Amino acid sequence: MTEEHFVIIGNGPAGNQAAVTLREKVPEARVTMIDKESTGCYKPNLLPEYVVGKVSEDKLYISPLDFYKAKGIKLRLGQKVIDVNFKGKEITLDHKEVIRFSGLILALGGRPRIPEPLHPFEDLMFTLKTIADARRWIQELGKVESVLIIGGDLTSFAVAKALLHLGKKVSFILDEDAFWPVRYNKEIYEQAAHQLTQKGVKVLACRKLKGVLRRSEHSLQVQVDDRKIEVGMVGAFFGLVPDVKFLTRSGLQIERGVLVDEYLNTGFEGVYAAGDCAEIYHPEIRDYWVSIGYDNAVNLGRIAALNMAGGKVQADVEPESIFFVKDIRANISWWMEF
Amino acid sequence: MQEKTHYPTKNGTRALEVIREITFSTDPADFYYMDVNVPCQGACPAYTNIPAYIRCLFEERYSRSYELNRIANVLPGVLGRICSRPCEAKCRHGEPELGQPVNICHIKRAASDFKEAGHIYMEQLFAPLGKKVAIIGSGPAGLAAAHDLSTIGVSVTLFEAFEEPGGMLRYGIPEFRLPRDILKAEIDSILRLGVTLKTGVRVGQDLAMEDILADYDAALLAAGCYKPLKLEIPGEELPGVYTGLDFMIQVTSGRPPHVDKRVLVIGAGFTVFDCARSALRLGAEDVSICLRRTEEDLTVTEDEVFDTKREGVKIKSLMLSRRIIGNGQVEGVEFVRTRPGEIMPNGKRSITPIGGSEFILPADMVIVATGQRPEPLDFPGERDKDGVLVAEKETFRTSEPNLYVTGDYLTGPSTVIEAIARGRAAAEKIAEELTGQKFREKAVRLEETKITDRLRSWDFIPRQEMPFISPIEKRFSTPNTEVEIGYSHEQAKEECKRCYLCYLHYEIDMSRCIYCRYCIDVAPRDCIKMVRAVETNEMGAITGFVETQQWRNVNAIMIDNTRCIRCGECVRVCPVDCISVTRVELVERMLPREKAS
Repeated sequence: MTEEHFVIIGNGPAGNQAAVTLREKVPEARVTMIDKESTGCYKPNLLPEYVVGKVSEDKLYISPLDFYKAKGIKLRLGQKVIDVNFKGKEITLDHKEVIRFSGLILALGGRPRIPEPLHPFEDLMFTLKTIADARRWIQELGKVESVLIIGGDLTSFAVAKALLHLGKKVSFILDEDAFWPVRYNKEIYEQAAHQLTQKGVKVLACRKLKGVLRRSEHSLQVQVDDRKIEVGMVGAFFGLVPDVKFLTRSGLQIERGVLVDEYLNTGFEGVYAAGDCAEIYHPEIRDYWVSIGYDNAVNLGRIAALNMAGGKVQADVEPESIFFVKDIRANISWWMEF
Repeated sequence: MQEKTHYPTKNGTRALEVIREITFSTDPADFYYMDVNVPCQGACPAYTNIPAYIRCLFEERYSRSYELNRIANVLPGVLGRICSRPCEAKCRHGEPELGQPVNICHIKRAASDFKEAGHIYMEQLFAPLGKKVAIIGSGPAGLAAAHDLSTIGVSVTLFEAFEEPGGMLRYGIPEFRLPRDILKAEIDSILRLGVTLKTGVRVGQDLAMEDILADYDAALLAAGCYKPLKLEIPGEELPGVYTGLDFMIQVTSGRPPHVDKRVLVIGAGFTVFDCARSALRLGAEDVSICLRRTEEDLTVTEDEVFDTKREGVKIKSLMLSRRIIGNGQVEGVEFVRTRPGEIMPNGKRSITPIGGSEFILPADMVIVATGQRPEPLDFPGERDKDGVLVAEKETFRTSEPNLYVTGDYLTGPSTVIEAIARGRAAAEKIAEELTGQKFREKAVRLEETKITDRLRSWDFIPRQEMPFISPIEKRFSTPNTEVEIGYSHEQAKEECKRCYLCYLHYEIDMSRCIYCRYCIDVAPRDCIKMVRAVETNEMGAITGFVETQQWRNVNAIMIDNTRCIRCGECVRVCPVDCISVTRVELVERMLPREKAS
């Protein structure tokens, strides 16, 4: 009998949890985790605190590399998947190696989203998704006094909070596009603006962000409507887009994430998606939904692995904790935390 | 055949004569080879000789590069801007481990941009035939047919219902994507062949088709699709609801409708994107495209999607319109979420509405651009239940003698390049039926050549992006200015370097091969194979290889041209010089009249 080989693409919280769960549930199977980054699995939610020195780098990592060896999970870091043949159950890596799998979990995470109109200014904006990003923030923050944050996603509020702790002057432009998957409305805007203002963040009104220009080594000029704002650096926080560009011709159903059913199955036999890259129809909010945040990613990674191992576990798309009070049905827990 | 090139000296005496061995083949197996091994040309409905024109541009023979396009597709400057680019989807450079496809369309535009100002294009003309053909509709299909019939020697009259020729090119595509001077110049280059153009004539109303059939030897209907499809949902008649076609015709005619702040555009084709971008230019602040499926299922080009988003248009997926809401004026649209399913036989993904997921998006204007179909016409001949004239897809014939149909009117909405291809095919068929003769034929031209000067490092040159007007605001202050600026000479050359030149065929001469395997060692892909047997189809064309790793079973070492990236390394290392290179091109040959069958 052919040995089962479960492959997980992505070494983030969802992928990591999936690997551990699979190892527990199917001890005899081969488990391989592939990631294009060379670093071990870390907690992205701690990056803002790492940037301002509240958390040391070693605290970011979830498990030491020895852990995987002990568990019999093969880690292939720094290796990029460039194609997946879902029907033929084959993965092609950048160096042309082909890996066969019997089951696959896509835990690709996402990369920071910069809205298309802002693409020309991308090089002048800082994002925060990886440890390398965090190091760039640390370097730049040593040179500037003020930071403008554009967006409004999960990370942006944590970054604003961390920067205040560091004594930086923080201003914020709340952008409706950044709130995805939350359906933006005036109530959400006012709630968020109120929370930020209370903490000492200057919330700027903005109808259209027209551009960012470098004025000097430590100064940027941001054109907002008909005003020009001088700041030290600009952080862009428009949420994440799933890192699935290489899968667009593969037959996978992709919207803003990989579309999956309530069991996290992609429609291909033995292929699941979990974490930030999995998009699921949510009957309660009557809309498509991506569960963002560390805890949700871990939860979905576990469920995908359980189903891969033969289970029939429905993704808990609405844990109470992620919803705000009263009638705003959206994941805005990070504002409360802020 | 032998092709001779003479190089005369100053006093006119023949100093040098170069003789090249050229073979023309009409063997079906060779056509099959072209389809599979030169995938870009095979994907082009007009069979444009893409590797050849890219190579010419690289050699800075810009006018020749333009001509190679013009031979196949009659409107290179237009298509270099708005082609749907089926070739790029098949480009070998876009295969998973090879990077991104060559920007074939942008190179086409470069050929048009860089050709000499006084470039003289010599049409290959047959003598007049003494036949008259009327063409109804001056869109891409009608123009292509008019061109080909004129070169064959037919006297052509082109009837156009609008004030200007061009059909959807003129009235369906905004000026910021297709400048009118480019369109006019290329239409003029067709009309100069002696085509009589009659604009503002709506055949069927201003002039009876029966009269045309009495006056002309044949008539070709190329009237396109001008009847917009409706959503068939409540509220569609509310003020503020437009069809995409009506909206674009008003915009391109210089009489745009008043556009308010919030605009929803429903549909998924190129027209949707043109409407959305035009609405922004007319002052809309919040424009969204609403898709039933997802962005991944769109057939418009990736560049078009990105550029539209860059201008600020939002693309919303997985939503199906249920009703348009408003009281005396449109106020919004109720949608329901959809769940995508399997790919259907028509190539589209099926969708299922999700009950209970209804939601409303507010809007001041709704543009419905879900497609068009041919208009019913009171013409002689068999018509379908909607009153649309029926014709055979292969012969273009209707039930009425000498009345033919082509282009989108025949097939339903298609792309410009498909319409051109059908217009040309219909012209050939009409000429053949009027005279009993064939005038042109497709053939595979084979000529031995050397390996190219391509360097392996060229395979890693990044795709050259099209420069556009910057900053974005400038697009709105001068709304008709072309958004795409066009490649610089340097960019065009860099992009040309990326083309593998798949029209080069590499082959090992087994009678001379010494089985050293040097070629296999240097091959960058698994393109050279130790073969036990070859698989062939009914035409005798090679369709696959039965590989073996056991020496005793190896009957040949063969180059799989479907995997080959034409790097030439195998030729360079071969110690016995047994690998030949042949340039194979799908070309169109004029058949001499005396030999016409």
